Amino acid sequence: MIQFALKRIWQSIPVILGVIIITFVLMYIIPGDPVISMVGERFDESRIEELRNELHLNEPLWKQFLVYMGNVIQGDFGRSFITDRPVMEDLLDKLPNTAMLAAAAMFFAVLIGVGIGIISSLRPNTILDRGIMIFALAGISTPVFWLGLMLALFFGVYLQWLPPTGFGGLEYLILPAITLGLRSAAYLARITRASMLDVLNKDYIRTARSKRLPEWKVVLKHALPNAFIPVITVIGTDFGSYLSGAVLTESIFGWPGIGRFALDAILKRDFPVIQGTVLFMAIVFICANLVVDILYGVIDPRIRAERSNHAN
Amino acid sequence: MKNIILKQFKIILLTAVFIFVTDCGKRDRNPDVLRFAMSADIRGFDPAFATDIRTGKMMTLVYDNLVQFGDNTEVIPGIAYKWNLDETGKIYTFYLEPSAAFHEGSKVTAGDVIFSFQRVLSPEIGSPQSWLFNKIDGAEAYMKGAETFVRGLTKINDSTLVITLNEPFAPFIQYLAMPSASIVNAKHEDSIKEIPAGSGPWILDNWQRDAAISFRKNDNYWGRKPKTEQLSFRILSESLSRMGEFEAGNLDIVDIPDIELTRWKNQKHWDGSVVGKDELNIWYIGMNCSRPPFNDRRLRLAMSLAIDREKILSILLSESGTLAEGPVPPQLMQSLQNDPIPFDPEEAMRLLKSSGYEHGIQTELWVAGGSEMFHVLEAFQYYWSAVGISVTIMRSDWNVFKTAVREGKPDLYYLDWFADYPDGENFLYPLFHSKESMTKRNRYSNPAVDRNIETIQRLRNGKERNDLIKETHRLIKDDAPWVFLWHGRTHTAVHPWIEGYKPKLIFNAERYLEMHHMPL
Repeated sequence: MIQFALKRIWQSIPVILGVIIITFVLMYIIPGDPVISMVGERFDESRIEELRNELHLNEPLWKQFLVYMGNVIQGDFGRSFITDRPVMEDLLDKLPNTAMLAAAAMFFAVLIGVGIGIISSLRPNTILDRGIMIFALAGISTPVFWLGLMLALFFGVYLQWLPPTGFGGLEYLILPAITLGLRSAAYLARITRASMLDVLNKDYIRTARSKRLPEWKVVLKHALPNAFIPVITVIGTDFGSYLSGAVLTESIFGWPGIGRFALDAILKRDFPVIQGTVLFMAIVFICANLVVDILYGVIDPRIRAERSNHAN
Repeated sequence: MKNIILKQFKIILLTAVFIFVTDCGKRDRNPDVLRFAMSADIRGFDPAFATDIRTGKMMTLVYDNLVQFGDNTEVIPGIAYKWNLDETGKIYTFYLEPSAAFHEGSKVTAGDVIFSFQRVLSPEIGSPQSWLFNKIDGAEAYMKGAETFVRGLTKINDSTLVITLNEPFAPFIQYLAMPSASIVNAKHEDSIKEIPAGSGPWILDNWQRDAAISFRKNDNYWGRKPKTEQLSFRILSESLSRMGEFEAGNLDIVDIPDIELTRWKNQKHWDGSVVGKDELNIWYIGMNCSRPPFNDRRLRLAMSLAIDREKILSILLSESGTLAEGPVPPQLMQSLQNDPIPFDPEEAMRLLKSSGYEHGIQTELWVAGGSEMFHVLEAFQYYWSAVGISVTIMRSDWNVFKTAVREGKPDLYYLDWFADYPDGENFLYPLFHSKESMTKRNRYSNPAVDRNIETIQRLRNGKERNDLIKETHRLIKDDAPWVFLWHGRTHTAVHPWIEGYKPKLIFNAERYLEMHHMPL
């Protein structure tokens, strides 16, 4: 397992390098000037040029890239052009907020999505099943922006059960977590149902039932672990994308996370923040996928065995 | 037995969840805290980098200036309780309030003022606001590193300061009331980006980046003390989220977006809660005067005549402004009759024909992507197409848009201008003097306008200066380098439990000294 993990980490280095190069080049291709966001309306034109020199923006691209790479290797993502704060410090400030939101959204998605997916698979082609699948379809199709505003309006403004927006205790987490997690919940419901229906028709399930095992034991112990591989894939990729920031949800609910931080930096052409955030997101995404790959082996011994054979 | 326990457990759990959820939204209003929202975070607490309105507003709370803006256009005492200007119009003498003290207790002295102003000019700091002080004698030499201090800043004693300018410059006294002219405590300069080092009526309590900023009252403030204990500013980027929070009673005051205004005005529930607020600004369409087709004045005038601005303002913008005659808002020009360019499509077509464009023109109108005024731009498109001017709307993000405008790329662009200080000069020099317009804006140049503006900058406030502002305003109106649209009026919703709210004409006149909750 450790060998496998190390191999995957090694393989991810070219990916990270690719991400850095592409981001770096893209930022110099897109129109716009970071100095414009820094100087306000009355700045002297001659000072703009001075500022560009101070920020090394007039140096050749390869030179800027080498300096940046040197700093990144030492864990220095640079300082924001706008706030002059270290990018890494800001990212680490915001990571717990994003992680909290991502974890809550994923908890909601797994609880609801896997739960109703199992129920649906146990009552296929009934009204309950169809109702759940309509809910799932609606969940996948509902735009996050609309859903977030409606939840805030209904539960926050009209019913006043929860704070409409903001950041703080557990009560602030509920609406953004539902907004962010609903699409995953809907998708998980569909995947779980399909996967469970496939497994529930297998011989070993029939055998378990013929041995008069309680139905919950058949479902949870024998069927669900075998149906879980595709579910884990969805959980892993969605969780990775949540961790790299949920721009819309964070904007609607005023959540100070990485997504909003990145968006703001893009709009202001704050190059060090954009580069730092993208790199950070890539690393998070790679780590999430690595965890998923390891979990495959934990859940399914056949995959574990296959990997050992390959290794030998 | 097991089933009964499980059932009871489920009921208790559900009840607990219900109580938790229904209780979460109910938060008692704390009468000691005034609650506001902002659309984005500030850059920091260093006045030298206060280039945007949000950051400037926060500076006003925690710092003091030599002078400050009153409710309207007047300059009132700040740290300087009096000042005078000599006959040459170049030498100011300021007398500082002896009781003025920084938050940590030390006195504010003339030396602190000199330190603060030199700091903004210092090449090591690299402030984008150095233009505020570059008229001070010796400032240029100091900025170039030729001198180690600014000659024109002289400390007579701890409470008397003399500022010498290298030429008479009337707006200078207003510059001193701007956020970047805040007086900084030299002892705490190192941490100034994160923690303000000022003497203002409010002290920073907590700053959670991208989430909230809160302040507590400075109990030892030397001037008029705030009537409330705390201020809280939440950062909510979405205007609908801000409105939702206000409706839920979690904010005390909120600015109403134009698209929401009709709903708010029509709801009886909010009668008396919506307050209109005049602001010193102008919305306009800039036309590139340096190249065809808009180097022809007749065509520029036709662009204005073709649009029924009155109708657009009334229907699409719920009367949230007054039609602009020219660049300077009426509040800054005493007794000027507002005479905007009329809606006259026939005259517009005649002008098109006389300028050789009888078959119409095709052009592009650039707009920053975040604009909420897209429906208004489509109305312009409609009116222009009716006289044969085909306009494509080009949306781009703010940075690309501003870069393009500075480089003089767009033929047409839609933009606004908000006053830095309440003076007609602020709507003339930065926008229409060729030195500025030819490098940053729509490439307009008129030597007569340049001369007038330079004279306005030298003249002392009075009738002669005011008349010259009016004359320059008319010259620019006749040249029609812009389509002058309107001077905006923002609307604010204020909960009935708030007392003492009085709209201010300029953003950094608001220090929240009078505003407070009514007793519960």
